[in-house]
Amino acid sequence: MTQKEIHNQRLVKEAEEAMIRMHTRRHFLKECAMGFGGLALGSLLQSCSLGAGKPAAVDFDPAHPLAPKLPMFPGKAKSVIYLHMAGAPSQLEMFDYKPELMKLDGQDCPPSLLEGKRFAFIRGVPKMLGPQAKFAQYGQSGAWVSEHLPHFSKIVDEISFLKACSSDQFNHAPAQLLMQTGGARLGRPSIGSWVTYGLGTENQNLPGFVVLTSGGKFPDAGKSVWGSGFLPSVYQGVQCRSEGDPVLFIKDPAGMDRDLRKASIDAINKVNEEEYKEYNDPEILSRISQYEMAYKMQIAAPEVMNINNEPQYIHDLYGTKPGKAALANNILLARKLVEKGVRFVQIFDWGWDSHGTDASLAIDIGFINKCREVDRAMTALILDLKQRGLLEETLVVWGGEFGRTPMMENREGKQNPFKGRDHHVEAFTMWMAGGGIRKGVTYGETDEIGYSAISGKVTPHDIQATLLNQLGFDHEKFTYQYQGRPFRLTDVSGKVIEEIIT
Amino acid sequence: MKHLLANRKTIILPITLLALGALAVFSTHRPAVDFNTQVKPILNRSCISCHGGVKKQGGFSLLFREEAVAKLKSGHYGIVPGKPDQSEMIRRLRLTDPEERMPYQHEPLSKDEIATLTQWIRQGATWGVHWAYAPVQKVEVPNPTTSLLGLFSSGKKAWAKNDIDYFIAEKREEHKLEPSPEADKATLLRRVSLDLTGLPPSPQLAQQFLQDNHEQAYERLVDALLASPAYGERWTAVWLDLARYADTKGYERDAGRSIWRYRDWLIKAFNEDKPYNQFLIEQLAGDLLPDATDEQFIATAFHRNTMTNDEGGTDNEEFRTAAVIDRVNTTWQSLLGTTFACVQCHSHPYDPFTHEEYYQFMAFFNDTRDEDTNADYPLLRHYSAEDSAKIKTVVHWLQQNNYSEKAKEISRFLKTWQPAINSIRADQFVNSELSDTKWLAFRNRASARLSQVDLEDADQLLVRYMSFAPGGVWTIRLDQPNGPVVKTISVPQTKGWQIQRIDIPAQKGTHDLYFAYINPTLKKPTDNGMLFDWFYFTKNFPGKEKAGYDSIRQTWWTLLTKDVPTTPIMVDNPSSLHRKTNVFVAGNWLVKGKEVEAGVPKSLNPFPSNAPKNRLGLAYWLTDKKNPLTARTMVNRLWEQLFGTGLVETLEDMGTKGAEPTHKELLDFLAWQFMYDFNWSVKKLLKEIVLSATYRQDSKVSKEALEKDATNKYFERGMRVRLSAEQVRDQALAASGVLSKKLYGPSNMPWQPEGIWMSPWNGEYWKRSEGEEQYRRALYTYWKRTAPYPSMITFDAVGREVCVSRRIRTNTPLQALVTLNDSAYLDLSRKLAYRMQQEAKTGDVKTAISKGYELLLFRPINAAKLAALQMLYTAAYSKFKSDPVKTCEMIGVNDSHNNPETAALVVTANALLNLDEVITKN
Repeated sequence: MTQKEIHNQRLVKEAEEAMIRMHTRRHFLKECAMGFGGLALGSLLQSCSLGAGKPAAVDFDPAHPLAPKLPMFPGKAKSVIYLHMAGAPSQLEMFDYKPELMKLDGQDCPPSLLEGKRFAFIRGVPKMLGPQAKFAQYGQSGAWVSEHLPHFSKIVDEISFLKACSSDQFNHAPAQLLMQTGGARLGRPSIGSWVTYGLGTENQNLPGFVVLTSGGKFPDAGKSVWGSGFLPSVYQGVQCRSEGDPVLFIKDPAGMDRDLRKASIDAINKVNEEEYKEYNDPEILSRISQYEMAYKMQIAAPEVMNINNEPQYIHDLYGTKPGKAALANNILLARKLVEKGVRFVQIFDWGWDSHGTDASLAIDIGFINKCREVDRAMTALILDLKQRGLLEETLVVWGGEFGRTPMMENREGKQNPFKGRDHHVEAFTMWMAGGGIRKGVTYGETDEIGYSAISGKVTPHDIQATLLNQLGFDHEKFTYQYQGRPFRLTDVSGKVIEEIIT
Repeated sequence: MKHLLANRKTIILPITLLALGALAVFSTHRPAVDFNTQVKPILNRSCISCHGGVKKQGGFSLLFREEAVAKLKSGHYGIVPGKPDQSEMIRRLRLTDPEERMPYQHEPLSKDEIATLTQWIRQGATWGVHWAYAPVQKVEVPNPTTSLLGLFSSGKKAWAKNDIDYFIAEKREEHKLEPSPEADKATLLRRVSLDLTGLPPSPQLAQQFLQDNHEQAYERLVDALLASPAYGERWTAVWLDLARYADTKGYERDAGRSIWRYRDWLIKAFNEDKPYNQFLIEQLAGDLLPDATDEQFIATAFHRNTMTNDEGGTDNEEFRTAAVIDRVNTTWQSLLGTTFACVQCHSHPYDPFTHEEYYQFMAFFNDTRDEDTNADYPLLRHYSAEDSAKIKTVVHWLQQNNYSEKAKEISRFLKTWQPAINSIRADQFVNSELSDTKWLAFRNRASARLSQVDLEDADQLLVRYMSFAPGGVWTIRLDQPNGPVVKTISVPQTKGWQIQRIDIPAQKGTHDLYFAYINPTLKKPTDNGMLFDWFYFTKNFPGKEKAGYDSIRQTWWTLLTKDVPTTPIMVDNPSSLHRKTNVFVAGNWLVKGKEVEAGVPKSLNPFPSNAPKNRLGLAYWLTDKKNPLTARTMVNRLWEQLFGTGLVETLEDMGTKGAEPTHKELLDFLAWQFMYDFNWSVKKLLKEIVLSATYRQDSKVSKEALEKDATNKYFERGMRVRLSAEQVRDQALAASGVLSKKLYGPSNMPWQPEGIWMSPWNGEYWKRSEGEEQYRRALYTYWKRTAPYPSMITFDAVGREVCVSRRIRTNTPLQALVTLNDSAYLDLSRKLAYRMQQEAKTGDVKTAISKGYELLLFRPINAAKLAALQMLYTAAYSKFKSDPVKTCEMIGVNDSHNNPETAALVVTANALLNLDEVITKN
């Protein structure tokens, strides 16, 4: 049997096992040691159609909306960790090395770069701004990485870089929505919602789609970037937090210990069973199982969200600070979550909007701190997944919603107090790794000042198409019927980036 | 391809002859093929994706008859009515060569299907009208005495309570299902109360009904519920989803918006049972009604619930356009049950609406004053009663002095600050810009243009501006940057925004205005000197020579510049600001195609001949009894609210791709009744439905019935439906005895966990409401679009970014966590426990638990349930008895309730609030 076949078989087996877990009452009872009457739950809850290899992605059963389902075809990746740097990091100080731009530093921007273009804040004629970092080539692949990412430079041979990403939205909220939902307006489901809708949840004790935020703010488009749009709201991302309750309402009220909570769920379900005897409605049985799951989730979620028990070398690797809502903590949590069977972990880190309007948003001050924070942790993530044998089945995606201009921002035609760059949609860098992505590849190229793509240009829809492909979905066929037509994540475009997949 | 076509005759002829022969035999005997039920499904499934609104492969489209019978690119005719043998479509369906056979690269049609299409063309290929686009006809009630199942007729007659039941019985009998008996009184009481008022009944009403053995008892109950003010709140909560109501503007900054007076308007409208046609007319075009009242203006906030983008650097026209498109889509989806959004980019793939018709319809909404401004202009200004009286005095004075026309203009401006020109319309910036893309800003030596300003007879400029430095000089020139000076104004420093009136020489006609600004006191060349909000060119307040002028003019000015609360409303552009509407090519707003005039789709009822071609006319068209969609959509929605599923399941789409109606005749019957018999009274319609035997059925289901009709499509039993997000909260408030009865007012902020609100560039925060405000019904909860109230979202509330006309109910562990652990529910569990103790009087636990159950379900608890809950109580009691710390934690404060008995009862009350039968309407 080839690797691929083994992998596929495993996927099928896992999905089946999860189904059995859900449907076998006895298993359930054994697992949580709670004694309810012997109801024939399995026979009544047979609505999840998981035929032999039949794609169940478009089935929706409101009673079991999160039951595990098979993808359309066996995908390379089982789960996704998407690191979104909200605010849009500068490609010119991280990955896109442009020595020519250095020569133009401080000169007026040529009119050819401004004619017919719109910028969020640049007005009149701005100055060019050379790279504010030193670059070198690393690894066998010879990828260029800046001095701001000393850790990451050591693992470039695991990565596929997309150097010519582009967007058509130059404001944060619409661009984040386009990147995360396939449409620039509010109201469409996020990638994670689509994935959860298509695949259900592997681990019924945890949400299938988890969102972690850091940087002190939500992304500009708010919770809509992990919203479920027109999909049922059960598919929206569940925000897990490193401060306060890890999942909203997961903690028992003060004064109630676990035994008492168990007694309380016992009583609720006993009464529900009585009601079921009266009414015979299978929906009541479904409610019973949701309460059982809630009880188990109360244990599982805080457990997985607690990083205190991780060994010291892991903390050293990631640079984590337990108890803080820090990016490094969230990246470590992402690894723990996918390890436990969470399908989609979406990380948003706010603070990358380096306009130069204050020191924290200066390309040569605050930006360097942001790089330092993410560098160690994202490197650790790749290494840690690899050492656990999880990298091959976990797709890691990193990027912002657009890039930054090679020009220095001159907000409202004035010089900004610090060095900064404006929003730029024509060229920026993203990277992917693991989950069937080729190693040590650089795809796409920008012109000599990093202003626009000259080859290998990709759009948010291409990135989404690739992501779905790695999970086993044909993005053109994976649809949801709404407002009289089938909608898809990639709207009416998108092409799988074949050049970076194995 | 070519050689295949050359061989065509030899291959085809025998088949055609055969077919003709077959038809000759059968055609006289066969009944007419029905387009809607027999033909359209085949076309929609197999043909229309390549030959419809989106694509027209080979020049062939099956969307409209005139397209289908037109000449193809090949020179052939796809359909020749009456002549299937000459119809290319039939020929291609029958071929075997995969290169030519249709459907291309798909399974061939079955012989029967081809025969149906052939027969249909032979009979003339008539295009039927999809049921939902045909006018509502009066439907006869299925006669109970001539039922085919004569045996049952007496039973049916006895079962039926009103006409609805005969329709339901007919379908049900077709499927050999038996009706269920009427639910017990307690269940019915709770069901109808939750349905009509969104709340459980008050104890008084419950007692009254449960003890009333009169035949009319149930009807009396229904009347009492319909008359309760809670009725309006309940149906407003439903309407808020359609109106995509929120307390914030949306997008990145998602700042607050004061639009709650619209919610109050809805509550009043529902409570006074404003006829549905009038209800819609006022929301769509209240501003255009003659002598529109403030209330009618507030009603138009319906379409001001669109989002506004305050993010810096955004194009205001782009987001204005997005809002207009949202108005079109919302109107269709929520009021007309049709998915019109498809037509934005291309002609409708299945339904008879063209691309151009979308933009004709959009033209009705495209000429309003709103422009994605930061202030959400236009706004209705709410004056105090005292100030409103002063406005009357001003108007009266003007009328008395024969300035009636001017009185209207002045009063309109006091109320709305319209029609001012927003400064974001400026262009040709030099040392100036739209600051944060919101306001025109000047630096030293700045200039900018305001184009095409109607100055006819204007001799005064009212301007709202802010100046950051003294010493500025602002010059206004006519027609050119160096054109004649109209006025030179010295601009002092201001404290914030200020309105100033500036006399100018009287002008004629329309002109470009060139502004220049010089202020040498500004230190840096990049310092802003002043900021403009809006400009209003008008005539001076008239009557200078008349008695009382000075004081009246002063009153006018004080009112005009007064800081008052506001609500966003609709106001049309004056003719000088008229906006044209063009088709957007492929739906792209930047690529403008042909210009269009306002109009409605040809396939629906004609535009009323005497109606104006504006939003008001549109509202008349929409509420015309000939409109096939308006009444059906509302009837379907009300049915869905009561039964959990609509007669057409897809509330948002009654078109050919929507779900088939389960009871089309009943839908039409009720739609007719709603318009003609009930004169659009929603209360009467609801009453009719809840009085039916269908509605009153018990919701217990037998194994057999579950097998035959798992989803209760044929209403053989009552519906079990999980409560809505709002009802879950409201019921808990009511049962625990803390529900605030306060109607109306600004949104409140009940308990919410920390860290839910974190919008960038927005300092607003969740400030927990105090006292009674903490316990108001869910519809008053402050709704922030990018961070909605979490526990309601968990129970399937929608985000309200855009109109969602149907909530999909789900069942997840996260819902359990809300009612188990959310501090808001723990608080209510405590209150419920205290109430249980109070009602039990004796201190007996069994009695207390029974009381709690009855408070929620209005019927006695059975022994097994009581035992289970009592066991929980006992377990909790023994725990708290030995642990005073936990006891105090469960009670929250060290007050008279701080004892193990009460703490254990809190745990029990919390369990009660989590019972399936409590969060479900049985």
